[in-house]
Amino acid sequence: MTCSAVESAELTRARRQVFLALFIAIAVTLHVLETLLPTPVPWLRLGLANIMTLVALYLYDGRAAWTISLARVGIGALLLGRLFSPGFWLAAAGAIVATSAMIVMHRVAGRRLSPIGISAIGAAGHALGQILAARLLVIQHPAIWQIMPLFLFFTLFSGILTGWLASGLLEQLQQHPAFQKNEADNNTSADDYVERACR
Amino acid sequence: MKTPWQIMTAGDWLVVLLLLGISFTGLLWVATTAEGTRVVVTSGGQTSFTAPLNQPRTVDLDGPLGQTHLVIDNQGARITGSPCPRKICISMGTAKQTGDLLACVPNRILVRIDSPVGEEAAYDLLSR
Repeated sequence: MTCSAVESAELTRARRQVFLALFIAIAVTLHVLETLLPTPVPWLRLGLANIMTLVALYLYDGRAAWTISLARVGIGALLLGRLFSPGFWLAAAGAIVATSAMIVMHRVAGRRLSPIGISAIGAAGHALGQILAARLLVIQHPAIWQIMPLFLFFTLFSGILTGWLASGLLEQLQQHPAFQKNEADNNTSADDYVERACR
Repeated sequence: MKTPWQIMTAGDWLVVLLLLGISFTGLLWVATTAEGTRVVVTSGGQTSFTAPLNQPRTVDLDGPLGQTHLVIDNQGARITGSPCPRKICISMGTAKQTGDLLACVPNRILVRIDSPVGEEAAYDLLSR
């Protein structure tokens, strides 16, 4: 195994790709496992896969969050045999609105919002996106908005739960040398990690 | 692992309370403005007529004073003519939301909008 002669920027990018691939794998797994759980209402789910989107958003950036959420929706639907079904479009719309909302709010609020707040916003965005898609594709009647408040209420709790879990995971990961934020300016910590890994 | 309230910032609480507020306001709004599906007419304490709200029709309702004219169209149900002296029922306007009432007290006619569910909803038109 060769470890020398690799540019630091190149290394950072490769490391990011590897971790994002791992996060996608975890997100898809959580998503598929979750559909096996019984739910009171068909489309009321915990959204555990969002943990990985939040982790990517906090450890990396908005682009990483998009990668995780879109890949999760696509691969998840493929595995469950739902690709391009109405349910898939609902999930995709939910994920798109949720991810946009989380990225924007994370950028605007910075440290004033913890992963719990961002997750709650994402959950609300998910509900909004889903109902918007349902309004356009499934039930073309304005009465569908009547379920929005109830939906929003339940989704808030799952949002807080996933945000809390993401926060716990982030607490562990951020201490790890591979995710030190200052690796661009000060390479010591990340390089130490790589060297240790190479020996 | 820290508990949620150890993690949550003031901003988080604001977001959560705001979303709770929105959902409760929405629930309240839905509960109060849900469009009804059925017109129920009670005269003298007995249901004399029911009809779906989505089918336009004109009905003459018999009361002690005479006939009260009820019009159902795409705007809802309203009373267009009544033998009562003060015509309050006509000025009550249009009823279309669940729980809305049109009352013609002198002629003892009460028009109510509801949204039956289950077996009751199966009736298309009921006339006694």
